[in-house]
Amino acid sequence: MKKFIFALLLAFSLPVIAEPVITAGYEEKTPEATLKAIETYFHETMPHVKGDMFIHGALNFPHSDLGYNKMWADRLADDAFDQPFEYTKSLDAGKKLWNTPFANGKTMASCFAHGGKGAANDYPKVDPATGKVITFEHALNACRIANGEKPLDYSDANTMGALSVIARRLSNGDRIHMVINTPAELAAFNRGKEVFYGRTGKADQSCASCHIQHAGQVARTEDLSPIIGQAAHFPVYRPNPVTGDLALITIQARYKGCQKSTGVDKPMKEGSDESNDLEYFHTYISNGMPLSAGIYRK
Amino acid sequence: MKKIIFLAILSTLLLQGCKTAGQAEAKAAKPIEMNPEVLITSKNPGMGNCLACHAIPSRPELAAGTIAPPLVNMKERFPDIAKLRAEIYDQKVFNPQTMMPPFGRNKIMTPEQIDVIAQYIYKF
Repeated sequence: MKKFIFALLLAFSLPVIAEPVITAGYEEKTPEATLKAIETYFHETMPHVKGDMFIHGALNFPHSDLGYNKMWADRLADDAFDQPFEYTKSLDAGKKLWNTPFANGKTMASCFAHGGKGAANDYPKVDPATGKVITFEHALNACRIANGEKPLDYSDANTMGALSVIARRLSNGDRIHMVINTPAELAAFNRGKEVFYGRTGKADQSCASCHIQHAGQVARTEDLSPIIGQAAHFPVYRPNPVTGDLALITIQARYKGCQKSTGVDKPMKEGSDESNDLEYFHTYISNGMPLSAGIYRK
Repeated sequence: MKKIIFLAILSTLLLQGCKTAGQAEAKAAKPIEMNPEVLITSKNPGMGNCLACHAIPSRPELAAGTIAPPLVNMKERFPDIAKLRAEIYDQKVFNPQTMMPPFGRNKIMTPEQIDVIAQYIYKF
């Protein structure tokens, strides 16, 4: 009886591995081979998308409204006459959080080498002590806590999201250079990989269903972006299709949005271990891509 | 005084309970959508949203995806309509790597709704 109870407890304590979608990259055993297999697949399925073009995601494909996309991208340009109000408001909020001294007189920049330039590209990384993934947003909050300030809510686009855009933009143009060496890093990569390929929700789909298996195809009116390049440009500004109001979306808020659309009852929360693992895997697959935080996406 | 407060709380809770039960009934009473035109185009919960992935070439006015095969020659492709119904119910049985939602298995739609859709698209 004791053995039975023990087995039952063990079964419930083990993480549930979702059934994967077996598509390019899933069966490869190393991070390098995984990325290579995905690159090869896209080379075959979308030969016109090459090199840095991947950071343009769905905008590489002709089905969506190219004029609409160009109009929004132009409006967000630094010298645009009619920058949207929500965009400038968000940037101002982020700059305020980055530049305003804490009660102790220090600023966010004091927590990072070179005043934060290039800092975002050191993340996500794995804490060797715990094996857990630390994202750049964790580092931003760690800075606030170390200086006696309250941490920001990872799901709040007006505070953490805005700060993240400003802090990440200091690394724009730097190329992602993640290297996976330790067993803890490999374990984090594999956990994120299981999330990416794992079926979930009522629709029984995985991230890989849309962003590898059917990337470049059209879901109703929208092109599906390939996984390569996705993690290089978040947070993004997206217009509401009805009102046109821009909303800032962090990478982990996007995970939640995808999960909601595929009928997941309890989508992953921003800052959760599962989201952090996914971001780790996701960022590795954009290795070599230039960072471009705070851009427009449909 | 304590009794009055206790009764006041109790009655509020009971009223709240009635209200919740009433709301649940109202929700349960909402008729299940059986119009195939709505079922195949709507992306609301409990709908088919077929056009997210499948085009209907004879209905070019309807925006549609390219992920899955277009809905054409249905009678030739599915001589037995039961096979079409079964694929809508759970396409993974036939294609393990599909991304088509298992509309019946995961109770996204009722068997009756699936039947209505199968009959509707069978004419294309």
